[in-house]
Amino acid sequence: MALDNYRSNYTFAMDFGTSDFKYGPISCGETPRIVNNRGYFPDKKSVIYNAFESAADVVVGEDVPLYLQSTEDLSTRLVYPMRNGVIDKSDETAWRVVSALCQFGLKSFEPSRNNGFQGYYLVASLSAVSPRYMYERLIDILREINSDGLVRAVTVIPQPFAVAIGHGVTTCVVIESGHGNSQICPISKYPIRAAQVALNRGGGDANAITSEILKDAGYGDLTREESLVRRVKENIGLVPANLDTAIDEAKKTPRRFRAKFKVPGTRLEIDLEKDSWARFLIGEYVFNPNHEIFESYFGRGMSRPKDVKMGDTVFKGTLDFGDAITTAVEKCPVELQPMLYREILLSGGNFSWQVPDRLEGVAVDSPTKIKLLLRQKGIKNVSVKMTQSPQFSVWHGCIIYGFAVPDEYDWDWQRLEGWMKLSG
Amino acid sequence: MASLSIEERLLHYFLAMGAQQVAEKPPSATLSFVISDQRVNVVVARNDVLTQSTIIEAILGLATLRASSNQVYLAAPRLLGVTIDAQLFRSYGIGLLLYDDRRIDEAVAPQVVQFAQPVPTMPTQDPSTVAEITELKSMYLEMKSTLVRLREEMQTLQHTPKEPPISSIDMPQHVVIQQQPSFSESAGQLPSFFTNNPWLDVLSKRGRGNGEPFAG
Repeated sequence: MALDNYRSNYTFAMDFGTSDFKYGPISCGETPRIVNNRGYFPDKKSVIYNAFESAADVVVGEDVPLYLQSTEDLSTRLVYPMRNGVIDKSDETAWRVVSALCQFGLKSFEPSRNNGFQGYYLVASLSAVSPRYMYERLIDILREINSDGLVRAVTVIPQPFAVAIGHGVTTCVVIESGHGNSQICPISKYPIRAAQVALNRGGGDANAITSEILKDAGYGDLTREESLVRRVKENIGLVPANLDTAIDEAKKTPRRFRAKFKVPGTRLEIDLEKDSWARFLIGEYVFNPNHEIFESYFGRGMSRPKDVKMGDTVFKGTLDFGDAITTAVEKCPVELQPMLYREILLSGGNFSWQVPDRLEGVAVDSPTKIKLLLRQKGIKNVSVKMTQSPQFSVWHGCIIYGFAVPDEYDWDWQRLEGWMKLSG
Repeated sequence: MASLSIEERLLHYFLAMGAQQVAEKPPSATLSFVISDQRVNVVVARNDVLTQSTIIEAILGLATLRASSNQVYLAAPRLLGVTIDAQLFRSYGIGLLLYDDRRIDEAVAPQVVQFAQPVPTMPTQDPSTVAEITELKSMYLEMKSTLVRLREEMQTLQHTPKEPPISSIDMPQHVVIQQQPSFSESAGQLPSFFTNNPWLDVLSKRGRGNGEPFAG
């Protein structure tokens, strides 16, 4: 491995997650900077804005909360461009946010020019379901904002690939599950793009079923606040080893399974009481939304996870993770398949589920649930692990990629790899 | 007591009520006092004979004092009391004091007037003031941008990568890539996730003919 002294100082990574934008140069060490992946479009007709503000079209970064106004205002002015991992080609508003985030990220780490700086080697990471036009547009944006030569070369890699790199595993299946979607990507030194599977299901869907459960338990007025629903999900949601067994157990001994959550700093206490068995629905819905019990929620108006199309294939939004993994792996050469099953990596906040001590066996963690789902498909010799730092593993992988890939490896639109030189 | 003038007697009358005399008084007022933050003006009528028209004239004159006082009194000789219509005074809110050589009596209590808050008028825009505000605004924006720049510079100082090794600074052109030094030489400077990461070798061979994709 040749050491590149320049890039050991000037490699820069940007991870466009569905909720957060993580960015920073290699000198950040283990932890990048994080801001919300969102932008606020201020009301330029506002008297206050005209009197005191300079003309920023889009506000991103830590300053966004200072501009937030009424709740009604948020729906139109606060834009999360990558809620589902994909931005429409014609969604200029979302692309303006991406452009502002890129500028904000780079300007936050603008080095002085007198120490040999000639532009960063920038690695951006997008969802695995991103179509080619997203790569084109992101590179165009970086070219447009590069008038001051902060970027020497740019490349874009899929997030699951970055997870595998960050975790140091060269042959594996990565399942990256964020707020808006989940991506299953086999990797063998390269991302095997033809075998990728995407699901339009993520942490946001777990929030949706939590919201329905709260309504049924008489807490409907609380469901308007998504952040509260999310906290309830994180505190009472459980992944069952087997949903039917877990519900039976919880109904037999409700006190043992009682789901109770007191919102810190308030008088608010949520107690599902006799309906505490419903806490298992939250985790099960993430891994397998096909149980008949969910039909009653769909029947009452809860949206089913939407199907997603990749190339010519349509993946059902309700595909369980076991089926999704076998579908992805079986698109790879047969001799590679056992090696892929031997190393399954789970990444993303949607896999962080607790197992209370007294409920061990009935409730399980995410790796165990994946193993159980694969066992149902007849696949037993599997190893499933959570990444060591789920939140930053994409950024870590991008930094390693930017550091290691040779400078002379030019961008290839067929492979979607290599360096696109912007200056120098 | 009779040796005192009516002005002096009225002064004593009001001082006894807790009033304080005010030196500055409207020209048409004989005496001026302050009682509990209330401004009281008193006009003394000296004519022994007051006709209806002169009374109305006096009342209208007193009405002009309303703008600068909370209470207004007319002090008149008691003998004229029979010719004065008290209702007229009440309708104008003017108090009436009747005096003779021995006594001063309040025949009609005045109506207390609370000064209305002055209505702010829109000042006409002074071009020099507007120019000054514009200048202040531009100074504010400049200060703001300077602060932002300073903050960014501080952040850059905190996160600016360390000076590259001398070998790369010395090279005048473009990127300086040392092709062969081993990774371990500076592994200590790199984050921990670089340690023993097999991807460093795999990725460093990209574009060199080996390590082509297995599939996809």
